[in-house]
Amino acid sequence: MSMQAVRIVNIVESLLVSNDEAAEVNRARLEAAGVLTVNLMSSPGAGKTTMILKTIETLGERARLGVIEGDIAGSIDTEKVLAGGAGDAIQINTGGNCHLEANMVHRALDDLDLGKCDVLVIENVGNLVCPTHWALGEHLKLCLVGAAEGHDKPIKYPQIFAVSDVIVLNKIDLIEHVDFDRTIFYESIQALNPGVPIFEVSCRTGEGLDAWTDWLLDQLATLRKEG
Amino acid sequence: MHELSVMSYLLERVETHAERLGASKVVTINLVIGDRTSIVDDSLLFYFDMLTPGTVAEGASLKVRRTHMRCSCPRCASDYQPDGFGFNCPTCGTVGEVTNDGSEFLIESLEIQQ
Repeated sequence: MSMQAVRIVNIVESLLVSNDEAAEVNRARLEAAGVLTVNLMSSPGAGKTTMILKTIETLGERARLGVIEGDIAGSIDTEKVLAGGAGDAIQINTGGNCHLEANMVHRALDDLDLGKCDVLVIENVGNLVCPTHWALGEHLKLCLVGAAEGHDKPIKYPQIFAVSDVIVLNKIDLIEHVDFDRTIFYESIQALNPGVPIFEVSCRTGEGLDAWTDWLLDQLATLRKEG
Repeated sequence: MHELSVMSYLLERVETHAERLGASKVVTINLVIGDRTSIVDDSLLFYFDMLTPGTVAEGASLKVRRTHMRCSCPRCASDYQPDGFGFNCPTCGTVGEVTNDGSEFLIESLEIQQ
C-alpha cells in the first residue's frame, strides 16, 4: 500500500452552519408575513406558558399572538394557549431532544396559520443550556427567569444571558420571600450583555406586563417599518 | 446532553466538505469549542465513535481545542478568567466585561487524504 499524503484544509465555520441556514429560511418566511418572532427560553417551571397567556391577555386587541410549543412530550400547553386566546398554536414534540432546531420549526410553520399572528412566540424546551446554540429564525431571543430560581442564574448559565436580546424576570412578587439579590442579578447580566433590556413582571399580580407588552409592540412596529 | 445533535450536524458538514474536496478519507477533524457552549468532550467522542463507522470519517481522530471565558476590567484593564462566583476583577473588585472568548463553536480544519 502506498503512503498517502495528508493535506490540511482550513474550514473555519460554525458546527451548526446547516441549522443556521435553515433558520435564515424560517426568518425570511416570517418576515415576508410580517410576524415578529420570539424564541422563549427558560428553565422548566420559570413560567413560560403563563407568561404567554398573560402576554395574550395584556396585548388584547392590539396584536394577535401565535405560539409554537416545544415540549419533550404532550400537547397540554398548546391546548392551554388556544383556550387562552392564541391566534393559532402548533405543538412540536421533540421526543426527548432537549432543544428545538430550525428544521422542526420549519415543519411547524407549514401547519401554522401565520395570517392569524402578528407576534409568534416559540416556546423552547425548558432548558438553559442547549437552546442557546440553535437559531430557529427568531428576531428576538427572550430569556425568562423566575425569581425563585435565584439571583445567581446568570453566573451559573452565562451563555443564555449573553446571547439574549431581552430578559424577563418573572415572579417578582416572590422576591422578598426568596432572598433574591437584585444587585448581583443586574451586575452579572451587565457583565455578560451590557445594555440588554430587562423587564420585571409578576404574571400572578400583573405587575410589569404593560411595560413588557408595550416594548414588544414597539419591536413589532420596527420590524414592519423596516420590512 | 445536546452532543448527539451537535455530532450529527458536524458529520453532515464533514461529509459535505470531504466530497467537495475529493477526499477518500478524513484523517483528523480539528474543532475549536469554548467552555461557554457547555459541550462535553467525552460525550462528543462517544457519539463520534457511534456515528462514524461506514462514513468517510471512520477511524478519524477528533481533536478539540478548548477556549475559556475571559473578562476585561474597565477600571484597571486586567484580563482574567472569572472564578465561577461572579465576574469581579481579582485585582480591584470591579465587575468586569465578559469578552467573546469561550463561545467558539467551530470546525477549524480537516486533515484529508485524496
